[in-house]
Amino acid sequence: MANYGYNGGNYSTASYGAQGGADGGGFMGGSQQGSQEGGGSKTYGKDTVRPVTIKQILEAQQPHPDSDFKIDGSEVTQLSFVGQINMISCQATNNTFQIDDGTGVIDVKQWIDSDQLPEHARPLPKEGEYVHVWGRLKAFNNKRHVGSHVIRPVSDFNEVSCHLLEATAVHLYFVRGPPPGPHDGAMKDGGGAQGMFVDSYGGAAPQTNGGGKQLPAKLSATARKVFQLLQSSPQNNEGLHVSMIAQKLSLQGNDVFKAGDELLADGLIYTTVDDETWAVLEY
Amino acid sequence: MAEPTLSTPRITSQYLDTFISRTIRLIGKVTQLRGETATIDSEGNVTALLNRDAHLTVGNAVEVVGKVNQDLSVKVLRATDLGRDVDYTAISAVVDATHRYKEIFYAE
Repeated sequence: MANYGYNGGNYSTASYGAQGGADGGGFMGGSQQGSQEGGGSKTYGKDTVRPVTIKQILEAQQPHPDSDFKIDGSEVTQLSFVGQINMISCQATNNTFQIDDGTGVIDVKQWIDSDQLPEHARPLPKEGEYVHVWGRLKAFNNKRHVGSHVIRPVSDFNEVSCHLLEATAVHLYFVRGPPPGPHDGAMKDGGGAQGMFVDSYGGAAPQTNGGGKQLPAKLSATARKVFQLLQSSPQNNEGLHVSMIAQKLSLQGNDVFKAGDELLADGLIYTTVDDETWAVLEY
Repeated sequence: MAEPTLSTPRITSQYLDTFISRTIRLIGKVTQLRGETATIDSEGNVTALLNRDAHLTVGNAVEVVGKVNQDLSVKVLRATDLGRDVDYTAISAVVDATHRYKEIFYAE
């Protein structure tokens, strides 16, 4: 819209239709840009380390060959896990460790940096030792392994307990969404956006429906995020447009639509000026 | 891949009878050492039948990977000394999570 005046300079009957297209195109351009941003954040923004158990790695879904692996329905790139070394095999170009964390066994390959001076090389971890591994899940000839950047011996066993509990918490986060917390202000210590979200909704709920209204547990994590955004962002009674939501949450447009369908089906939000503009349903 | 056999669920003494003849992981404090057997306190006493490689220290925490016998003793396959500085509350939380959310820890 900013270059409306610019186009206006070339205004003619012939370009009117084109301009109309450009106007619509301007919007589409915006949504395209949004999805490109989403695409950009797919490689960088989503390149986060997720704590997992080896069983989760072995059961990770790969929708089609060469695509990213998914655990609990969300893409994983970098993984972190803790386990005991069962076996080490040293080859000319890489060291392969067979790691067992009690939930499964997986091979971890670490490439040998030939430029590294031998005196700077880390001592190789020993068999039976607990190590913390950071790396990427790879599949080769239908066999999965983890290509690792860092393998660090665990010196304090509490790190193992901590990691397994963390992996559980993250698993539950993806399966069930953010922790709901009790209705009363007990979530205040939780802080952060989630705490605020629960607080504000919890605060609104008792006035509306005798406190019976909480987000349904089956709601997906994306739907929760969308709802949270709708509720927290300053807006008029028109609500927010899908492309706006997608941009703010760096999500793909169709993911936002799916989330919206869930929320609409549950009567948590409603459509305002058109099917793609939503506001929180509060009464 | 014979996947189910590869997992060694983390348990404490209370879970022994549901894991007879399975390979498990158990963490506890070594309370007694008697040659080939040891007593490990993992929220209750467990008798461990040691192998030759096992080096246990009384008072230290140990993680045992082993097979549960009919009499609820554990035949040790691997024992790892964890020192003294171990948070037993965290360990029991992990065991609780293991069985509560078994989908990410072990196959039945």
